[in-house]
Amino acid sequence: MEQFLQAGIIGISLGAQYALLALGFTLIFGILGVVNFSHGGFYMLGGYVAYACVDRLGVPYPVAVLAAVGTTAALGWVFELLLIERLVDDHLATLMLTLGLYLVMSTAMLEVFGPLAMDFRFPITGALRFGPVYAPLENLVVLGICLTAIMGLWLVLFRTDIGRALRALADDRAVAMAQGLRPKLLFPAAFALATGLAGLTGALVTPILSLSPGVADPVLATSFLTVILGGLGSLGGAALAAFIVGIVEAYSSVYFGGSIGALILFVLVLLLLVFRPTGLLGREVRGA
Amino acid sequence: MLLKIENLHVRYGGIEALSGISIDVPEGETVLLVGANGAGKSSTINAVIGLVPAAGGRIVFDGADLGSVPCERRARLGIGYSPEGRRVFPTLSVTDNVLSGAFGLGRVNQKEALDWLFSVFPLLVDRAKQPAGQLSGGQQQIVAISRAMASFPRLLLLDEPFLGLAPVWIKQISDAILALRARGTTVLMTEQMARPALKLATRGYVMRGGEVRRSGTVEEIRDLALADEYL
Repeated sequence: MEQFLQAGIIGISLGAQYALLALGFTLIFGILGVVNFSHGGFYMLGGYVAYACVDRLGVPYPVAVLAAVGTTAALGWVFELLLIERLVDDHLATLMLTLGLYLVMSTAMLEVFGPLAMDFRFPITGALRFGPVYAPLENLVVLGICLTAIMGLWLVLFRTDIGRALRALADDRAVAMAQGLRPKLLFPAAFALATGLAGLTGALVTPILSLSPGVADPVLATSFLTVILGGLGSLGGAALAAFIVGIVEAYSSVYFGGSIGALILFVLVLLLLVFRPTGLLGREVRGA
Repeated sequence: MLLKIENLHVRYGGIEALSGISIDVPEGETVLLVGANGAGKSSTINAVIGLVPAAGGRIVFDGADLGSVPCERRARLGIGYSPEGRRVFPTLSVTDNVLSGAFGLGRVNQKEALDWLFSVFPLLVDRAKQPAGQLSGGQQQIVAISRAMASFPRLLLLDEPFLGLAPVWIKQISDAILALRARGTTVLMTEQMARPALKLATRGYVMRGGEVRRSGTVEEIRDLALADEYL
């Protein structure tokens, strides 16, 4: 029972991390129609920026996290404005562009920091005890920040003019433009929001898991898997699927061993695609 | 003259949808474009808002040539647009749909627009939080027209606002157009259902095959506008 509860706490914490990543990923797809293959790269970059701030510049960890968010958001903004914007309706071109950016980022980190994992640790250690169950403090802190960020994203999207405009652009870009909504201003903002979230997750999670140039690959795979499970472009679906993925991973690693979790998830996604191709909460994707 | 269309050509690939039409929309008036499917009414509206490019000619709004003005800036110049086929934002709530037509106008102006539209269309109050995609056709048309009206535009473009609607919705929309016109808005509308539209219009253009066949005051064009060949 203790093991069951412990795995549940880890699963929820993992789910919140995946939700932040998947929300950013699906936000870009839903609004711009772009599958962002550099999403994992922004996660990795967030981790490295936070690491460099703490280890090389000696700044406190919370400031380093903010720096990571700012750097990844700014880079996302510039990348969208200078490159994606011109080719936003060309799916193959944006796919190649984002894949190229990811390769540039991972190679740059490899050159600057080397191939080995960094000694980057979460500043808070210890555990809270709930009866027989121990909850690592670092997981609880990350869970709290992730849930706050998800709430913040929800408020931006559903309680502000910009969020409303972004959702309108996602629904019908031509009509949204005819209402005066400006994609040239709003698309980079959406991209920056998404990459900033990826940077935040990287800065929070890499000190707990690992920080090396290779961390982006599994992150991209998990984000992809999560948004497909939830339904491409569906924010609610991405959040729901993220917690399913986190919990399945946690329980399967406890009860079946590490690699079985990924297998279970892929089988789940395959079955879902057969019986419900739009994902859990997705709707039919508009024509290209 | 608030809007002046001069020798406008619109082409879709090799097909010419508009063959050099000229239309004047005087400030404060309601101008009706009437004609059957394929007459070029929607192409005219879409060229004015900037959703289709003009292949030739000029569109002058309030003295400024709109030729190089992108679609989204035309809306901010004071042109409201309600497209054919409603095209509400299906996942947005009714209120969010309406407010998306008043983007960046500030809370005070948005509240004024909402209050006014809620009083004109009581349906919006009842369905305020419902996703617009779940509404009936007539209800969606109310939402689309409210969205176009939310910025209290100087020029309101309405593309087939009555198409397929029950008389009760036509009456509500007509009343709202009259109310907005009383606030100083000029209207350019297209309609196949010429009868209710002629009650609102002050002047009209009868179109066929991408050309203007006749224009004049409502009285001057009424008979031709109701003739079978143009409906």
